[in-house]
Amino acid sequence: MLFNSGIFLQFFAAFLLLYWLARHHLRARNILIVIASYLFYGWWDYRFLALLIFSSVLDYFVGLGIARQTDPRRRKLWLACSVVANLTILGFFKYFDFFILSFAAVMKQLHIHVSPHTLGIILPVGISFYTFQAMSYTIDVYRNEMPPTRNLINFLAYVSFFPQLVAGPIERASHLLPQFDRTLSITRPMLEEGIWLMLWGMFKKVFIADNLDPLVAMVYGSGSYSAPAVVLATVAFAFQIYCDFSGYSDIARGTARILGFDIMFNFNLPYAAASVREFWRRWHISLSTWLRDYLYVSLGGNRAGKARTYINIWITMVLGGLWHGAAWNFVLWGMWHAVGLVTNRALGEKVRQSFISWLATICFVLYGWLLFRARSLEEIVAMTRSFANFSAPAWINSYLLNLTVFTLPLAIVEFWQFKSRNLLVPLSLRPWTRAALQGVLLVGIILYWERNPAPFIYFQF
Amino acid sequence: MAMHLGAILDVLPSPRPALDVDRTILIQKAEASRSRSDAQILLMGDSSCLIDVDAGRLTDEIKRPALNLGTLSYLGLESHAALLRVYFGANPGQVQTVVLLMHPEALRLASPGEYHTKLLTGFLRGEDLVVRSTSRDYVSSVLGYDAFRHRIVARTLPIPLGGPYGRHYGFNADLEAFLRAHRGSLVDPDSREFRGNPEYRLAPQFQKTSLIFRAGIPSNVKLLFAITPMPATYAPPDYLTTRQQMLTQWQEWLAPATVLNLPATLPDHLFVKSTHLSEEGARQYTTALAAALRLIDAAH
Repeated sequence: MLFNSGIFLQFFAAFLLLYWLARHHLRARNILIVIASYLFYGWWDYRFLALLIFSSVLDYFVGLGIARQTDPRRRKLWLACSVVANLTILGFFKYFDFFILSFAAVMKQLHIHVSPHTLGIILPVGISFYTFQAMSYTIDVYRNEMPPTRNLINFLAYVSFFPQLVAGPIERASHLLPQFDRTLSITRPMLEEGIWLMLWGMFKKVFIADNLDPLVAMVYGSGSYSAPAVVLATVAFAFQIYCDFSGYSDIARGTARILGFDIMFNFNLPYAAASVREFWRRWHISLSTWLRDYLYVSLGGNRAGKARTYINIWITMVLGGLWHGAAWNFVLWGMWHAVGLVTNRALGEKVRQSFISWLATICFVLYGWLLFRARSLEEIVAMTRSFANFSAPAWINSYLLNLTVFTLPLAIVEFWQFKSRNLLVPLSLRPWTRAALQGVLLVGIILYWERNPAPFIYFQF
Repeated sequence: MAMHLGAILDVLPSPRPALDVDRTILIQKAEASRSRSDAQILLMGDSSCLIDVDAGRLTDEIKRPALNLGTLSYLGLESHAALLRVYFGANPGQVQTVVLLMHPEALRLASPGEYHTKLLTGFLRGEDLVVRSTSRDYVSSVLGYDAFRHRIVARTLPIPLGGPYGRHYGFNADLEAFLRAHRGSLVDPDSREFRGNPEYRLAPQFQKTSLIFRAGIPSNVKLLFAITPMPATYAPPDYLTTRQQMLTQWQEWLAPATVLNLPATLPDHLFVKSTHLSEEGARQYTTALAAALRLIDAAH
C-alpha cells in the first residue's frame, strides 16, 4: 500500500491505536510490528511475503552461526550463505531477464542467432532494500561490529519494519535493531517531528513530485527534442525524483518517529553540493554509505594506491547504478558518477567550494539524471544531440510557470534549512506559526490528492 | 468557507475545469458555442467528427465558413442539442447547414457518459460540478477545494496534458489555441491497434435523442448526416449492409434530414485508431465531405 493512499491512512490509524495499547509490552509491541509490516508488504503481493520471511529467517540463523564459530573460514562460509542467498534472490528477480536479453543482443551483434527465453519475472517491491538491510546485519556480525540477536521476533521486525521496508532508508542493524530490544518513550518533540516529517514528505510527493511528472513525460520519450525542452524537463525530473524519494524517506522517518523509533535521514540537501563527492554524502545516504562500507571497503577502498582506488570507485558506482534497475542507462548513470568521483579525487584540494563549483556540480548531476530517466541509449543520444538545437517549443512559458510554481515551496524551505544548517528548523517556529505552515502544506496535499495515487519512483528499484 | 461564499455571491470567476484533454475539449466547445462566429456550416458529432473533418480545409474548399463543434464519443445527442441551442442563440439566422457525423462505436452506446454530460451542462450554467463518490470528495467539497481548483487554479495555471496529447500539444491552453486556430478541428496524436468487437447497430435510445436533436434545429436550416468511416480491414464482411440499414433508420428519426454520400471505409493506413483518421486521412475525408456538400447544394 502506498503512503499517499487512503488505505494506508486507515491502516496506520488502526495500527497506532493497537501500538499505543502495546507500547509498554515489548514482545507484544514487536509482534504487532511484525504482523503489521507483513500485512503492509503483503498488500502489494502476498506471494512475495515468503521471500521476505525466508531472507529474514536465513540471516537470523546465519548471524547466530557466525557468532558460534571461531574458525575464520567457517565464519566466512556462514557469511557466504547469507550473501549468496540474498544476492541470488535479488539477481534472479531483478536481473535474470535483463541478462538474458543483453546476452542475446550481444550475440546478435556477433551475428549469432539466439532465441532469448525470458521469464517475465515480476520484481518484488522493496527487494533491493530489504536484502541489503539484511546483509548489512550478517556482515556487521561477521566483522564483530555487533553481536548477533537471539530474538527472532526482534530480527523479523528489524528487517520488515514497515515505515522503511519498501524504499528505505536502508538501516544499519547496529542502529535500528537495538531499538526493538527496549521499550521506547514517545515524547512531544518526537511527535511534533514525526508529524512535520510526514506532512512535509507527503507534500513533496503529492504537491511537487506528482505535478512535475507530466512535465517530464511531455519531453522524455516524445521523440522531438530541443535544448530548452530537454534542459527544463531534466530540471523537472531532478526535482521530481528528489521530492519523490526524499518525500518517501521523510514519511518513513516521520512514521517511525511517531512510534518512538529513530531511523536515519536519507537526504541532506543534495542540490546544495559543490562537488560530486559532496553530492554522494547528501543523496540517498543510506545506499551510498552501504556501498562504501560493504563494497568499496571490501574491495580495498583507497588503501591500495591511486589506480586501485579509482577501479574500486568505478566498480562501486557501476554496481550502484545497476542496483537501481536492470537497464543499461542505470549502468551509464553509475559510470557517469564514477567519472565525477574519480575526477573529484584526482583534483583533490584544488576543488574549492564556490558558486562555480556548485554550478558545475549541478550541471554534472543534471546530465546524470538525463541518463537515468531516458528509456534507451537512442533516446540518450537524441537528447544529447538536441543541445545544439535552441528552438523553444510553443509551450515553453507555460512549462516554466508550472516548474516555478511547483518547485518554489521546496526552494524556500530548503534554502531556510541550508542557511540554518538544520533540516528540522521548521520545528523552531512558534506553535501557531508552525501550525499555519502545516495547514498550508495540508491544503496543498488535499488539493492534489488523487483517487489513484502515483506510486513512488523508487518502488521500481 | 470563503470559496463557498465567493461562489454564492458571484464574486469568484466562474468554474472552468479544463483540467485534462476531455474537459478542455468540452469547455472549448461550450465557449465556442456561445461566441460570435461567421460559420454557416456547423459540424456536430462525436470525436470522429472532431478529428476526421478539418473545418479550416472544408471552409477553403466549399468557400463557406465552417465550424467544428464535434466533441467526445460519450456525449449523447442531447448534449449536442444543448450546444446547438446555445450557438443558435449567440448567432441567430446565420447557420445554413448542420452536418451531424458520428462513428458506429458511438451509435451503439446505450447511454451517454454521466460525468461529461453533467460537466457540459453545468459549465453552460456556470455551476461547479462536484463529484462525491469518496470520503475525500466530501471533505474536498465541503472545504471548497473543488471550487478553488476549478475557479482559481484552472484559470491561473496552465495544466499539462498527459500522454500523447501532452507531448503533441503541451498544455490545455495550447490545445485550446489549436482548436481555435483550426475552426474547432483537432489532430489525434495518439495511435492504437484496431481492436474491439466490430458488431454495430443503432441503439434504440437514439430515437428519442435524435428527435430532441432535430427539434433544436430551425426549419430553414438543412440537416445533413453520415456515419464516419472505419478501417477497411477492420469492418466486418456485412458492414456495408448494416451501415445502410443504420442510415435508413437514423434518417427516419432525424427527419427531415439528408444522408451524405461519404465512404463507409477507408484504407487502414489513413487511420490512427479504428475511430479516428490521421491528418492525411482527415484531409481526404474533408475533401470527400466538401464534394458531397457541393452535390447537395447543386441539387437544391
